[in-house]
Amino acid sequence: MNAVAAPAGALAFLRQKSPGARRFFFGIVGLAAFFAVWELGTLLLQFNPATRTFATFGPVPTLEAFPLLWGEGKIQAAVAASGYRMGAGLLIAIAIGVPIGIVMGRVKRFREMSNSPFQFLRMISPLAWMPLAVIVYPEWDQAIIFLIAIAAVWPVMFATAAGLAKVDPAWFKVARNLGARTVHMLTQVILPAITFDVLTGIRLALGVAWIVLVPAELLGVTSGLGYAIKDARETLSYNHLTAMVLVIGLIGWLLDAVCVALIKRYSWHHRGNH
Amino acid sequence: MSTSATATINETPRLMKSTGQGLFNFAAGLSILFALWWIGIELISRSSTTAYFASFGPVPTLRAMAMLWHGGLIQSAVWASGYRLGTGLLIAIAIGVPIGILMGRIQIFRELSNSPFQLMRMISPLSWEPIAVIVFAGWNEAIIFLIAIAAVWPVMFATAAGLAKVDPNWFKVARNLGASRRHVLTQIIVPAITFDVLTGIRLALGVAWIVLVPAEFFGVTSGLGYTIEDAREGLNYDQLMAMVLVIGAIGYMLDSLFVQLIKRYSWHRQT
Repeated sequence: MNAVAAPAGALAFLRQKSPGARRFFFGIVGLAAFFAVWELGTLLLQFNPATRTFATFGPVPTLEAFPLLWGEGKIQAAVAASGYRMGAGLLIAIAIGVPIGIVMGRVKRFREMSNSPFQFLRMISPLAWMPLAVIVYPEWDQAIIFLIAIAAVWPVMFATAAGLAKVDPAWFKVARNLGARTVHMLTQVILPAITFDVLTGIRLALGVAWIVLVPAELLGVTSGLGYAIKDARETLSYNHLTAMVLVIGLIGWLLDAVCVALIKRYSWHHRGNH
Repeated sequence: MSTSATATINETPRLMKSTGQGLFNFAAGLSILFALWWIGIELISRSSTTAYFASFGPVPTLRAMAMLWHGGLIQSAVWASGYRLGTGLLIAIAIGVPIGILMGRIQIFRELSNSPFQLMRMISPLSWEPIAVIVFAGWNEAIIFLIAIAAVWPVMFATAAGLAKVDPNWFKVARNLGASRRHVLTQIIVPAITFDVLTGIRLALGVAWIVLVPAEFFGVTSGLGYTIEDAREGLNYDQLMAMVLVIGAIGYMLDSLFVQLIKRYSWHRQT
């Protein structure tokens, strides 16, 4: 906690450092404050005899559970199973969302006609498809991948269409005048122009898929992060539960940070006004 | 996050546009969706091994919807879910907007809070479920907590991003004109960020809508999620599809409402 009220001298020192070092320092201090608040809350619960059982929710038992779960290979197995489902679902969403998004961005008629059905389908809560997915697909794995794909396809699709709408129409004219065929138009004009927006859409899609993944794994399957959480609760090992929650947060954060880095790398048309 | 959100909103065609063209596209688009649905189910249920899929078709679904409405099941499910969704969103707004303002105005707070908030944001909301069930006495409170913790991040980050876009000179001018802290808040900050807060609430609504259904799969015996689960266990596939339709229609309505509100307050997008 005392790290939060860092002395002014240290701040002045940091100001001279690179922004990266400053970011790193504040990131560490912020996380330290987070753990301190968590520990403080646990201590408050511990003083009350009625809530003493919750003490295993604290950061110390949680961090103790980490090497145990890792040693047993539970974390690796859960991450591998969930990662496969996430990856397959997102790939399907991208493979469907980007082409449809391009058509939406280029063909006015299609954009106008598809708006109401797509908005309607988008607002069907993905988990509402679950009973249907379980009936249609013979295996749970496929049902979960379907749920992730149907949740993730909309942000990719709409971001692609929005990205294409921002492209200066003169580019297409110039390309046509220079004799570009449809294939060239796609690979030389459209794809480079929308990479930034597609990545932004994928980042949003990742966030949504991450929300859907855990409840989808709470039922049926016996692997993955969602199952690991359910399993820890049923065996009343609360520190394993919080450890898995922390793993979910850390992996999600990592994946999100990768997307942010990629988006920054490709953000050519936002340098001016943002 | 906010750039793409605003881009999507600007792109969202004007559904409520009272021109005949807009209305025609709206109706034609939905008709095509229903036609594809009908043809798809018709083709699938022709084979004897998949004949039971016939009850997933649009005709049995609409019939089941009428029946569910008469039985009052739709109304009571919407009421129960609406209460949870509304309360959760209100809590998210009440927590997210003030913290977002702090993030936008105080650099040191923004820098320090970034790593813990990003970590907590990426904890999948439903993984809080076991903890919420233990901590809260009733299932209703646990569900509201899950919705609030899912919805608070978009509101918070959109508020902070909105404030970051405000021209710093406005604050200088206000101070020079003798504005008190309260005046700065009510006369500058709140009007300036209304657009971004609404954008954040729209995103939050989308996330809350995703979380609501699985949260209602367990424990409770009311709401949209429960009704779906109940229809599945009773093998009433037509009722299942009817509830899926209801969820889509209500979500669409709520989302359109926010699109209208956002347009109404989008003053700094006009250029």
